[in-house]
Amino acid sequence: MDDDFEDLLGGREALVQDSSQESPTTAAAGLDFCESEEEEVLDDGHTLADTAVDYGLAMAVEVEMDQTRRLRKKTPQRGKDKRPNPRFTHSTPEIGAHAALRHFTPGSSDTTASAEPPASSALGKIEAVFEQIADDMLDGEREIGLSLDIRPRLLPKGRHPDGTTPPERKTRRLGFPGKTAEEAWRFTVVLRILELMHEALRTGVTISKRDMYYRDPALFGSQSHVDRYVDDIAYTFNVPRSALNVTAVAKGLVVGAMSICRRDGSVVHTGADREGILMPTLRDVLSVNLSAVKWIMVVEKEASFRSIAASSFWDRLSTEGVLITGKGYPDIATRAVLRYLCMPSPHNGFASPPSYALMDYDPDGLAIMSVYKYGSAALAHESADLRVPQLKWLGLRSEHMLLGGDGTHTSQGLLTLTARDRSKARKMLEREASAEDGDDSDEAESRRPLQVMLMLNIKAELQLLDAVPGCMTGLLERELHGCTD
Amino acid sequence: MSKQYLQTHTLPNAHPTDIFSLAVTPSQLLSASGSSSIRIHSTKGQIIHADTPDEHPYPLVQTLEKVHPLGCHHICTSLDGRTAASAGFSGELKIWRCSEAGQWSPAGEIVPEEKKAGEHWPLALSENGQYLACTTHDGRINVYDTRAIAAEGTAAPKFTQYETKGSFGMSVDISANGSMTASGHQNGSIYIFNNSTARLAHSLAGLIKPVRSVKFSPACKYLAAAGDARIIALYDTQSGKQIANLTGHGSWIMSLDWNWSGEYLLSGGYDGKAKIWSLERRECVATQTESEKCLWSVLWLPKAASARNETFVTAGAGRTLAFYREASGT
Repeated sequence: MDDDFEDLLGGREALVQDSSQESPTTAAAGLDFCESEEEEVLDDGHTLADTAVDYGLAMAVEVEMDQTRRLRKKTPQRGKDKRPNPRFTHSTPEIGAHAALRHFTPGSSDTTASAEPPASSALGKIEAVFEQIADDMLDGEREIGLSLDIRPRLLPKGRHPDGTTPPERKTRRLGFPGKTAEEAWRFTVVLRILELMHEALRTGVTISKRDMYYRDPALFGSQSHVDRYVDDIAYTFNVPRSALNVTAVAKGLVVGAMSICRRDGSVVHTGADREGILMPTLRDVLSVNLSAVKWIMVVEKEASFRSIAASSFWDRLSTEGVLITGKGYPDIATRAVLRYLCMPSPHNGFASPPSYALMDYDPDGLAIMSVYKYGSAALAHESADLRVPQLKWLGLRSEHMLLGGDGTHTSQGLLTLTARDRSKARKMLEREASAEDGDDSDEAESRRPLQVMLMLNIKAELQLLDAVPGCMTGLLERELHGCTD
Repeated sequence: MSKQYLQTHTLPNAHPTDIFSLAVTPSQLLSASGSSSIRIHSTKGQIIHADTPDEHPYPLVQTLEKVHPLGCHHICTSLDGRTAASAGFSGELKIWRCSEAGQWSPAGEIVPEEKKAGEHWPLALSENGQYLACTTHDGRINVYDTRAIAAEGTAAPKFTQYETKGSFGMSVDISANGSMTASGHQNGSIYIFNNSTARLAHSLAGLIKPVRSVKFSPACKYLAAAGDARIIALYDTQSGKQIANLTGHGSWIMSLDWNWSGEYLLSGGYDGKAKIWSLERRECVATQTESEKCLWSVLWLPKAASARNETFVTAGAGRTLAFYREASGT
């Protein structure tokens, strides 16, 4: 492990000289944005030709690195027992240099054609980590581990003086079983994230940090841990996050059997791209064609949206349905579009397709559905124009909790309500009780999901359905068929 | 040899929403649900003309209207049938007393100081209704003296408090002789406390998953515990040793109840199945499937001296009170 990074750094020093000769703009850009975490800025001032040249260099460096690694492999391993972390003694390069290196590995999706070498190298780096761990285990080492570079945190963006005071590039070693339980956990988290990245790179899909979190919420504990380690790993590998096929989440997506006619005369068919398109702004929309749409399904999370849109049964469903996600608590645009689609008007051909909500089984899932359905408390004054009262609760419901059988994956998907969940549920119950001070049976109906959740003291993420093959398909076909017939 | 139970009566839509909890006295059945009212049915009614709709064996005798505005999740009664306690979703806890004529009236209320859901979750009353035990979201067991709870009591003094390791307390029971308190927790731990010394007597291992019900046998010799592990574990309350595992439920076990003699154990599952287990043979002797809807609560009705066969009642997400009686002739 350590050797890899040393070589990376060594290669980088050579690289910065080359690059400044070849393309002064590159080096300048690299210095300007040396502290930036955003990969978008890396494209600034670049022509395709530049990138092509850069690629050649990056490849060459890769090869060189491989050779040095092979040559030097033995030396540090011998010294390992005495000096467990040789990295600290190694000289660190200018920070501008590694930022410049990022130019040679642009993995952003707009350059997909040429993104193959850096992506595979990211894959290679992950596999190198795995191999190292596997080797250590085979060699019977008492502890396995991996190293992460610590991102410099204190320097504000773009205010770094031209490389005169380079911050030390610090490394942290995470061992397993490690000295403390926390270290073992951190090691597990990093390893799991690497595994998910590896899966994403190998299958060529893009995974969001949110999705990563929901793949194993019990392990990660909170989204911020995932965010932090994803960025740490990208920093350690010296690649932009997108080169690891990891993205942050943007708002509002739609995919399905409808077409949108914009005011500028263009027509967009939302089923054209399985990835979905970003939610259009209603201001730009002249009308929508919903003639083929039999139902609209609102999905709480992008992860589930993608997993449905990428599944084989979506081939059948995509001709008759529309899938929408607001990615958590929806923004106004998403809610406005949903209402626009569901409420008969001249703009949508007087269609009123039934709409269904597929949410997590937790207080937030129910709250999100209620935002779509009745509006949010924060924007109560605008709610009348945004709500979709006929929205029906498709899942997850308490009766779906045992769908996955007794497998370990299922029991991992079921979580205990936290104190925050319980108090949120109770506040929601109180709000319902005060809002509907009338018909007793109606009131009881809307409270039931919350009460049952509190009684069971259990919540579940939509990913529960992904854990068991065919589970999501079964649920959707059962529920939607009941409605389309 | 399996036993046969027949459904003798049902009260459909006994509540407008899920019936979460049941409790019995020698002559009445109390039910609590997601709606704000507690309903009380007499178990001493007689069938005169089975066809006449308003004459049936379990007439509704009293409704405590709008007593738990957010719904009521647990209700319990003392063995003597004179005291009841109910806990609502907003965290309030109410004490009820029964008059000679069988009419219930409020006898005190505890409002939690911290407004946290789950401050009081399950409840259990001692034999004469003097002590009320309830577990909390942070794993404590609070014991109150019901006589000290004033009508509008806000600062009800805790009689005693048992500390556990902080896992959500999902079930609690007080033994019939009043000597022990047991609690079952989210993380699968089960504790037995000695009430006279106020000390932990046994910490019982065995169930890793949430324990949704713990019940002492009538003679206080055994403790039965069950939950998401889908097995019923039997423990000896003196030694703390696990003496049996009853397997057969295909789903989470939501509630347990011993019959009066301690020979049979009744269990209700999340999948709507109720099972009767023979303690002697340590196996399931009967299974009743009413629907696929969760049975939140199952309970034996106290055996009347004149009745030859025992009756039990089930309730849950189906909103129905269903009564079963052992078939005669076996």
